[in-house]
Amino acid sequence: MIEVKALTKKYGDRLAVDNISFTVNRGEILGFLGQNGAGKSTTMKILTCFMPATSGTASVAGFDVFESPYEVKKRIGYLPETPPIYLELLVSEYLDFVANLRKIPSSQKRKKIDAVVERCQLGDVRNRLVGNLSKGYRQRVGLAQALIHDPEVLILDEPTVGLDPKQVSEARGLIKSLRSERTVIYSTHILSEVAATCDRIIIIDQGKIVAQEAINLMGATGGTTKTEIVVQRSSDELTQALRSLKGVRNVQCLSNGRDRIVLETEASEEIMAEIARVAVAKNAGLIRMSPVHLALEDYYLNLISGKREVSI
Amino acid sequence: MRGATAIIKKELRSYFCSPIAYVVLGVFLFVMGAIFAKFVDLYQKYNVAHQFGQAQGITIDKLATYLYQNMAFILCFVTPFLTMRLFSEEKRQNTLELLFTAPMKEIEIVLGKFFSAYFLMLIMLAVSFIYVFFMVLWGNPQLKIIGATYFGLALALACYVSLGALISAMTSSQAIAAVWTFIALLFLWLLQSLGQGITAAWGPIHWGPTLVYISPLGHFSSFTEGLIHIKDVVYFLSFTLFTIFLTHRVVESNRWR
Repeated sequence: MIEVKALTKKYGDRLAVDNISFTVNRGEILGFLGQNGAGKSTTMKILTCFMPATSGTASVAGFDVFESPYEVKKRIGYLPETPPIYLELLVSEYLDFVANLRKIPSSQKRKKIDAVVERCQLGDVRNRLVGNLSKGYRQRVGLAQALIHDPEVLILDEPTVGLDPKQVSEARGLIKSLRSERTVIYSTHILSEVAATCDRIIIIDQGKIVAQEAINLMGATGGTTKTEIVVQRSSDELTQALRSLKGVRNVQCLSNGRDRIVLETEASEEIMAEIARVAVAKNAGLIRMSPVHLALEDYYLNLISGKREVSI
Repeated sequence: MRGATAIIKKELRSYFCSPIAYVVLGVFLFVMGAIFAKFVDLYQKYNVAHQFGQAQGITIDKLATYLYQNMAFILCFVTPFLTMRLFSEEKRQNTLELLFTAPMKEIEIVLGKFFSAYFLMLIMLAVSFIYVFFMVLWGNPQLKIIGATYFGLALALACYVSLGALISAMTSSQAIAAVWTFIALLFLWLLQSLGQGITAAWGPIHWGPTLVYISPLGHFSSFTEGLIHIKDVVYFLSFTLFTIFLTHRVVESNRWR
């Protein structure tokens, strides 16, 4: 759906995006991860035809962003970092304006606006001034703007910044609900968000892609996940049994007060179930079992701090 | 051109939803009203004095000429307040991204912006018909001359607005846009005197006549005398088109700079 090849963007002498290439498949949610100033927004601006690249090519749905921007723009919904809203308009007026800009035929306009109001839960604020809305609502208005023309591709630049936790989870829910019907690129510097919503991540640092990984169910990368179990009575017998399980790669016993065992396993739910079964069968007194979420964070920090060797 | 229409609609709405349109219109009418009252007063005094053979009388057409020359100058002060927000506000609110990522051409954006401010100025011009009404009520002005004057005003406004839009596209601060637009317009007006001064001092060489030609003042004056010269119409139209073209270039360059 989206193909980027050797894309480079310079601002004066400063290299913002340095020779990056990636593809995004139809229906995929791609997380675009990186520190502030890593080049995320610049890449997105190029993909949305807001800005030309210095060199390289990018295409959306088979149309080149430089040669046929009109076709590309028609297919993209874009939410920039600061939602592009007019504070002096009513929400309904704003959406009407965007619908006109998007050249939605007037016969369908009403239907589309109603649909997007419903989807972004803007019903209550429809007749309020955009300028009087809270940050969360403004963000939703921005999202509504990006969705109004049913774009095939959605490009969201840090859509959850500045939202409260409830709103963040609502926004994530909304983005997840778009899965499979639309292709989404989603930039953020919040790791848990990527783990919670995306199918795949691209980590970008100083304009370069430093990692491209699929995210599995466990919210970790690279096919390995860490699980911690806490038992009342650990024994060599238990550790042996755990170690002999298929898919378990490493078992570490840590003790502080209680017996904590950290297992490094292949990422699959079957293994989790199996570990629990063994712990119970050995009568070890299983108290707690939890995935170690730090994996992704470790991975990320290691990557951007320049250490290419990842230790999990 | 649906994008342009959408922008015009939205801009006019923004003008009338904020105090700006009302304040500018109010101040304009107040100043023009004061000038009109003063001129009517002078007109009467001169004509009374004329009856006693003490001064030369003036016709109501002369009164209209003075009035509209003043109006064209007052509009130089008014225009910046209406054009300053056109692009700079979009830049400040980060809404240019919305316009540029919508499926339309840049020229639609530029034309939409230009015509929204221009329509507002035309509304202002329409309100000033009230002076025509009073002149017709109490005197017998030649409506053809006034018609030519309004045509000239409409043309002059197009060039004021295009210049304001161009300057607004160059900055993200409304205040700076307003100040520079005002300076630019004032400068254009003063070019006439500068050109005449040069001509007077050194004869019709040294750019004198050229400067006079560049200034809108002389071109506008002939309209107030009821003369519609093709060269004046061409001057205003080409000025406007060229400035719109420059605006288009500047707006485009905002993206790759």
